[in-house]
Amino acid sequence: MLFLNQLINGLHIGSIYALIALGYTMVYGIVKLINFAHGDIIMVGAYVSLLLITNSGLPYYLAIPITMVFCAVLGVLIERLAYKPLRSAPRISALITAIGVSMFLQNLAQLIFSATPKPYPSTVISTRSLSLGGLTVNLLTLVTLGVSIVLMFGLSAFVRFTKTGKAMRAVSEDMGASQLMGINVNNTISITFAIGSALAAIGAVLYCMAYPLVSPTMGSLPGLKAFIAAVFGGIGILPGAMIGGFVMGIAESLTKSYISSQMSDAVVYGILIIMLLVKPTGLLGKRASEKV
Amino acid sequence: MKFDRRFRACLLNLIAVVAIYFTFTLLINSGALNRYYRNILFSICINIIMAVSLNLTTGMLGELALGHAGFMAVGAFASAVITKSWAVSTAISFPIALIVGGLIAAVFGLVIGIPALRLKGDYLAIITLGFGEIIRVIITNLPITGAAKGLSGIPKLTNFNYVYIIMVLIIAAMFTLGRSRHGRAIISIRENAIAAESTGIAVFRYKVFAFTLAAFFAGVAGALYAHQQGSISAATFDYNKSIDYLVMVVLGGMGSITGSILSATVLSLLPEYLRDLTSLLNKALPFKIADPRMLIYSLVLILMMIFRPKGLLGTAEFSLLRVWEFCARYVRKAWQAIAKHLPQRKKKEVTMPEVPKYDYVNFDLPVLEAKGLGIHFGGLQVAENVNLHLMDNEIVGLIGPNGAGKTTIFNMLTGVYQPTAGDIILLGKSIVGHSTHYITANGIARTFQNIRLFKSMTVIENIKVAFQTRMHYTAMEGIVRAPRYAREERGIDIRARELLSVFDMEDVADVPADSLPYGQQRKLEICRALASNPKVLLLDEPAAGMNPKETEELMQAIRIIRDRFSVAILLIEHDMKLVMGICERIYVLNYGRIIAEGTPDQVSHNAEVIAAYLGSAAQEEKEG
Repeated sequence: MLFLNQLINGLHIGSIYALIALGYTMVYGIVKLINFAHGDIIMVGAYVSLLLITNSGLPYYLAIPITMVFCAVLGVLIERLAYKPLRSAPRISALITAIGVSMFLQNLAQLIFSATPKPYPSTVISTRSLSLGGLTVNLLTLVTLGVSIVLMFGLSAFVRFTKTGKAMRAVSEDMGASQLMGINVNNTISITFAIGSALAAIGAVLYCMAYPLVSPTMGSLPGLKAFIAAVFGGIGILPGAMIGGFVMGIAESLTKSYISSQMSDAVVYGILIIMLLVKPTGLLGKRASEKV
Repeated sequence: MKFDRRFRACLLNLIAVVAIYFTFTLLINSGALNRYYRNILFSICINIIMAVSLNLTTGMLGELALGHAGFMAVGAFASAVITKSWAVSTAISFPIALIVGGLIAAVFGLVIGIPALRLKGDYLAIITLGFGEIIRVIITNLPITGAAKGLSGIPKLTNFNYVYIIMVLIIAAMFTLGRSRHGRAIISIRENAIAAESTGIAVFRYKVFAFTLAAFFAGVAGALYAHQQGSISAATFDYNKSIDYLVMVVLGGMGSITGSILSATVLSLLPEYLRDLTSLLNKALPFKIADPRMLIYSLVLILMMIFRPKGLLGTAEFSLLRVWEFCARYVRKAWQAIAKHLPQRKKKEVTMPEVPKYDYVNFDLPVLEAKGLGIHFGGLQVAENVNLHLMDNEIVGLIGPNGAGKTTIFNMLTGVYQPTAGDIILLGKSIVGHSTHYITANGIARTFQNIRLFKSMTVIENIKVAFQTRMHYTAMEGIVRAPRYAREERGIDIRARELLSVFDMEDVADVPADSLPYGQQRKLEICRALASNPKVLLLDEPAAGMNPKETEELMQAIRIIRDRFSVAILLIEHDMKLVMGICERIYVLNYGRIIAEGTPDQVSHNAEVIAAYLGSAAQEEKEG
């Protein structure tokens, strides 16, 4: 029973990782940039939703969409101001810029909100739980899982079937050729950042409900885990990010309960390393070899 | 003249190094630098070592590594355990601890590098991040390293002498390494790994070498750090610290050693200055502001990258000599006057690198033979039952329509692809299953359809990379500039210039390869292939993109190469005038099979060839 419970806990946190990982993987797929600032979008989302709920007294169903819009706009702004000028620069310059943006957001939050963590309000769903034949499942777990799965399938359908989704896939294959086919590359990239950041905002609210403390550096850890999840599944591939998220969540939760909580990071990295050594481009990644 | 310049540069650098040493020693001894400033000074030196060593992996080798702080941690903890537990005089235990700390870090580098360096790009970045974090978690859980509390009470043995001298030695080693055959090999991998492998560089071995050496230096830096701080905890060495060092390298300019030094200095000082600025502002302004230095720091970083994406210095190196020459021409004149009276250094005897003797010389047998060669990718049969051979000193053409599998055959002959059927015999020995660099070293060199030069290296350096297979001095001899280094380097400089003269390119020897016009780039690729002293030269569309005059010259050159270097040449070409003009025999390939073989005359009258290859052209002519 403990095992089942831990498995469910793993699915819970894993689905949040998966949501965040989707943002990483979409951005990587389209501009080949590890967006280090993605984790900090979570932090911004957490603060914005916290302010809306506690200070303005907005209900969740209003606070969440506003947070999503805020994060989406922030994501697009970051892309336009910091990453776009570097699109033709060496990739490592863009990477360092992303690190810079991450540091900037963290320190800005620290200036505004101070480094002291703030509590996140608890809600009905985070306290109530359901009994399913001897197994107690928190309602929050079910909601998180449900929301994540719906969003993942929604996103997959969006990328697969809509015109914008096709444009996104085309741009990630070949930016130049897409441009020649009449696709507005800049807008497509902006939309990708907007969607990724909006997903991070939802991830932020779900994450804060599970770990109700908001601080300027809170985004780094889930960001890093989600990034690892994206690489595990094969970076740039949507289903890979989802599988990676769940694998990371379950591995973390099982290590914490069966081995030691201190070792959970090491186990997560260990799994990633083994994966990459066995399959250098991640679980679902295609083997890319340079043509000679 | 050139030697004079180098000598003067060395002298100038030495003077600067000694002057800085005495200035700071004086400042410290006189008490002008208090403990606070001394610590900043030591931190700068340690950061410089870290940045310069990471520059070896990320700048020179071009592989993104995000776990460099892990190696620093290994060095820090290993050395601290030694000095804390070993009851001998610290004058003995500290130097040993520094070296052992570095060596243990190097062992970690080796053990991590061998599996990790099989990955590329972002995947390598993330796997090094993973390893770095695992090192940290392990240290946090080991009793010998003080577990979560870390180690404290480490004797504070790091003083200016240690930190400065070690820093200078490591920087000097980086410079000399960079200009040795090993450094050239490492840089050539950054420029074009496939071409490097094809010119005889053992790419993987060099990657591991550079990674391990960088880990060693990071370990030494860690040891210095531990004995500066007095207490260390594993949490310090997390991936944020690795990223700090990466920022220094990129901001300074990837591959530029002086750039790394400059940015490590600036980035170590910047937060301190900003701290002073904040307190000044807080005194002056009516309201208090919180400490904004990290905010400013991150803004500076973003703006720097946007406006100078290649970093402060790019790939260039800051040279004291150039500054010297720039601002004090008259001093130079005075120096020249003095130099006249200095004893002239005797011109050293130049020995040519020996040309390896091939143990198989039998003119009746082919130098290269492919028997029943075949390969399929998934279900696609790209080549099937290909039989071809090259006799000594023969020029043979390999022609066929686009997509016939010509380049695939080259790739199999050079070990880039492993054939799924058949055998390849080079000078009597099978080479199937061997790596590309081994095959190159044993006598097959090639050029590429899409030119693959080491673009940012100079023309002559491009060629020198390929002399690798004929040079023997070790990395250590390169770093300390041993006599064998000087002898071999002088020898290959002459030979490389000789090779260039075959194509009348001596005058462009010192320009970057990518500034050459297209035709000369192709010629340079041929020169580079010849430098590895091949018995068989494979040319993949050498005349592509050349105008008729250039093609004419190329035909002449190919004949000259065959006669002068006594190589057998197999060439892929679509220019029929060239093929028919210089090839003694021709193989025609279509859909992965050889459909005809013979003299140019025989082949051009072969019905199947006309149908498959010239057929459409012939028909068009008839119709037109």
